[in-house]
Amino acid sequence: MLLSKIITKVHDKFPSVTLDTTQFAGEDIIHIQGSYNLDVLKLFRDNGFNFLADITAIDNLTLGGFERFAVVYHLLSHETAERVTIKAYVPEDQPELPSAESLWKTADWQEREIYDLFGISFKGHPNLIRIMNPDDFQGHPLRKDYPRLGRKERDDFPVVKRGINKEAAQ
Amino acid sequence: MQPDDIKSNILTTTLESAVNWGRKHSLWPMPFGTACCGIEFMAVLAARTDIARFGAEAIRFSPRQSDLLIVAGRISIKMMPVLIRIYEQIPEPKWVIAMGACASTGGVFDTYSVIQGVDKFIPVDVYVPGCPPRPEGVVDSLIKLQKLVETEKFSDYSTTRGK
Repeated sequence: MLLSKIITKVHDKFPSVTLDTTQFAGEDIIHIQGSYNLDVLKLFRDNGFNFLADITAIDNLTLGGFERFAVVYHLLSHETAERVTIKAYVPEDQPELPSAESLWKTADWQEREIYDLFGISFKGHPNLIRIMNPDDFQGHPLRKDYPRLGRKERDDFPVVKRGINKEAAQ
Repeated sequence: MQPDDIKSNILTTTLESAVNWGRKHSLWPMPFGTACCGIEFMAVLAARTDIARFGAEAIRFSPRQSDLLIVAGRISIKMMPVLIRIYEQIPEPKWVIAMGACASTGGVFDTYSVIQGVDKFIPVDVYVPGCPPRPEGVVDSLIKLQKLVETEKFSDYSTTRGK
């Protein structure tokens, strides 16, 4: 199996970077320190896991974990059809980690989405601006401490009236 | 023309009701479809319900050529400035149909990013319930709007717009 070989390689090469390895639903999850994500991802990419299927993020505020945030990379090998999940943990006080855009171009928009919704910034990203919310939006709505109904953004628009004056006519 | 012809060929009315009669049978919709209601609205135009029967088949994708704005779908906080701009670009007289639960109330999307009813910011004349409404519902709203257009009064038009 391709995956078990690489996991031992990761353990050998970066012993202090790997925090834990777990399994869920028959797939391996590798928990790593956020700042070393590029080293680990590059090792996976150069050893057969050529496809970055998805990047997402988790707010561990109520879940508990190694750090407040985890950026999750889902990799797929087109050769062996194996999948692996890499969770890179990011601390709350400095939510920043290197951008994977240099390894996979598809990371560009995915990282913008995480930046928009979680407020995690990516060092070396070519164009780190909001992708979903309006450019002047304040806050990061997928963080668990963001109120579900927002901070009155949805009520903050001018009220437009028709050109007829119905009240005066009545 | 003989006196008898004049008797049978002249109809007296007011200018107001003649104009309103013309307007109500030539509503040109501007569809603002942002979700599944937009898909359902396409069925309203198709053969089975066919709003051409009510003179509203001329769908214009330019607000400057239309007088009926059909808001079909949820409006996000990013889309609301666009909707307001489009509403303001429609020349008077103009009417608005809020099609479906989302455009009318926000529907199930009670979140920070969805406007809880476009009537909070732009005037809505007819609401269509449903998620999405059936084409018959939209046709019903069009007939209701036609009755509303009939009651329009010239004296209501103010020269000082927006006051």
